[in-house]
Amino acid sequence: MNLQIILAGIGGQGILFSSKVFSELGLKMGLEIMGSETHGMSQRGGSVIAHLKLGKFQSPLIRKGAADILYSFEENETYNTLKFLKHGGICFVNLENVDQFNKSIMKFLKEEEVTFRTYDATGAASKIGSIRSANIVLIGYSVGTGLVPFKYEDLKYVLELVSGEKNLKVNLKALELGFQEGKLTGNNP
Amino acid sequence: MRKTSQEEIKVLLGNVAIARGIVEAGCHVVTSYPGTPSSEIVPAVVELKKELGLNTYIEWSANEKVAYDNALAASLTGKRAAVAMKQVGLNVASDSLMSSAYTGVVGGLVIISCDDPGPHSSQTEQDSRFFAMFAKVPAYDPSTPQEAKEMVKEAFELSETFEIPVVLRPTIRVSHAKQSVKLSPLRVLDREANFEKNPERWAATPKYRLVLHKKLNNTLQKISERFESDTKWNYEVGKSRGASLGIITCSVSFANLVDILEELNLRSAINVLKIGTPYPLPQKRIADFIERHKKVLIIEETDSVIESQIIDKSKVLGRLTGHIPLEGELDPDGIHNILADVLRELGIANLEKVTDSKLDKLVEKVKPLVRKPTLCAGCPERAAFFAIKKALPKAIYASDIGCYTLGLNLKAVDTVLDMGAGITLASGFYQAYHQDKKDIPIVATMGDSTFYHSGTASLLNAVYNNARFILVILDNEITAMTGMQPTPGLGITADGSEGRKIPLKELIKGCGVKWIKTIDPYDVKNLVKLLKEAKEYSQRKDGGIAVIIARHPCIIRFPEVCEESPVEVEITDDCNGCNYCLDFFECPGLYLDEERNVVEIDRNFCVDCGVCIDACPKGAIIPIKK
Repeated sequence: MNLQIILAGIGGQGILFSSKVFSELGLKMGLEIMGSETHGMSQRGGSVIAHLKLGKFQSPLIRKGAADILYSFEENETYNTLKFLKHGGICFVNLENVDQFNKSIMKFLKEEEVTFRTYDATGAASKIGSIRSANIVLIGYSVGTGLVPFKYEDLKYVLELVSGEKNLKVNLKALELGFQEGKLTGNNP
Repeated sequence: MRKTSQEEIKVLLGNVAIARGIVEAGCHVVTSYPGTPSSEIVPAVVELKKELGLNTYIEWSANEKVAYDNALAASLTGKRAAVAMKQVGLNVASDSLMSSAYTGVVGGLVIISCDDPGPHSSQTEQDSRFFAMFAKVPAYDPSTPQEAKEMVKEAFELSETFEIPVVLRPTIRVSHAKQSVKLSPLRVLDREANFEKNPERWAATPKYRLVLHKKLNNTLQKISERFESDTKWNYEVGKSRGASLGIITCSVSFANLVDILEELNLRSAINVLKIGTPYPLPQKRIADFIERHKKVLIIEETDSVIESQIIDKSKVLGRLTGHIPLEGELDPDGIHNILADVLRELGIANLEKVTDSKLDKLVEKVKPLVRKPTLCAGCPERAAFFAIKKALPKAIYASDIGCYTLGLNLKAVDTVLDMGAGITLASGFYQAYHQDKKDIPIVATMGDSTFYHSGTASLLNAVYNNARFILVILDNEITAMTGMQPTPGLGITADGSEGRKIPLKELIKGCGVKWIKTIDPYDVKNLVKLLKEAKEYSQRKDGGIAVIIARHPCIIRFPEVCEESPVEVEITDDCNGCNYCLDFFECPGLYLDEERNVVEIDRNFCVDCGVCIDACPKGAIIPIKK
């Protein structure tokens, strides 16, 4: 299996942690990992993007129109990173209300047969008292929908592996919450 | 990659893979000054030291030259040493690099200089391989984290065999790439420090330097022969006899290129020669490859190091022939387009170029916010800049390298040149105006880490030559921008052990400054007052350089300091949406509610520092009474 994933958001939203989660997940699935991350100046409130490629790749960067999955933790960064998504790709956006999203772009994505799913992960994360866990909520949600080739158990295993002692409990809670919500909506938005 | 056990393969950041290579090579001493994209190397060595119970000596040095010399000395005692820095750091260390190329080394000495094509986080796009060539030391150029790890180990061997410093040049896309990397066992090298005196060599006079230079040239010749026969780093991909185009490439460009050729099904049409040892260049291999093709394209980042060394360029296409952009990063889409142009020009294939799609045009209409980096909400540096701008709105603002470069957003930074230039440009500005009998206000800003790096020579020079300006040291007690490395002011060394703390104030006093005040910049009103006093002192007949240490801990590194006494604020009806706070305070915690045309607080960002109370001219930001 070859899988290309883009993780987009802004500094402080846990993009690098999410990238770690997916790379460990890929390793668990017996795949090779290659990717690229933003470090340094941009982390100060700027756009942060992680490219992650599971399978046989040499280049750490994902090309325009090549990503299978896009996780965007922020509306604006979605517009900036949709270009990476391939025809027929899947996109999960952390968004309070889908009506906020630009209509003509939605229409374009439909023409491109992109599965476009929005979910208020920040809202859900604030319910468990941890806005910073919105990233894990959204990832859990995507797995719940059954649209991505990841297993809940594997994700749980990985979170136990990579979370610090302080955050493990809340991360597992966030995963469970997102997963259940995703399961509810399933394949139909 | 075969996976034999869970332990043998780990997903590592390129810099962490380099750290692993350093440890696997049995390296004894590691020194560095932080800078993107090199900063993660030392912390990863520290982690391995702790995890494996090693005796490695690790230091965050005051600057790159200091780091270089400390590593070199270890090598002279027979130990293995590595020194890591960003590419512009090598400018600072270059004096030592050039000289030590002549005198050579004993234990392996590897210089890791991380390049930043783009540039993403640097003031130049300079190519460290040119520095290796300039200094006449060999260079390795990895294309992936895995290769970087293996190259580090070979670099140590090469350095020891030929008694010469060796450069490893990862670009940002290797340093910050992430890969499942195969680990190897550690090597433990028992070596006791043993400096064998030899003044003729280690303290060589100019006369003997000529001898050393000749020796260096002979050594390079031998290394070049070794690189000629190397097949580990220099190899061909595809040996199609019919291919008329060959491509010589290196670093991450190689990785990008092979994926593109695979994707476009062009592997049989184009042969590739990968070069991992760009200096000294394996000339025969290159000439042989060129011989076998009608045309050869050179794709290398960031500059034309391989291309410029090629002797017969008659078949060569590259930067020198206008086929490759002269600046910027070569990303996969960029390489695709270069390839499309060359294939069309040579009549080999018609490849569609990557252009703006329909989506790009739609997105353009949405005008999504392009987020520029900004100082964090609650950053004490924002408070200081706001006060500086308020107290001395007409001053020249000479600033420096660090998070506080982002004082640009508050319009309180006029110059950013390189590390230490905040002070030197301020003193230069003073002298140029003073010569015309004009004494204008000048404010230099510099972070604590930058001051320790290269502030003292600049400051004592300014004092000695009677310059007059205000220096505000933005002391957040840490090197924040590059990932919270300790400074000499903190009293903690790289591995967390205790260091001897060097207070800023004593250092500044030692530079001859008579007027030094310390203040918490969160106290904006008093800082404004103090700045006015400082200006008065700096322009007084018996005055001089005035230094204000604006001290408040970095809120990212020390959030507990902020949480101790939170000042929760609210915005009253007095806000008329004048935007003053957004333009001149520029805090991510404040935004304009466009419908109501008033400023609102974004609680996702706000850290309750309360500094914005002073930023509203209408007094519409007030503390919430409890």
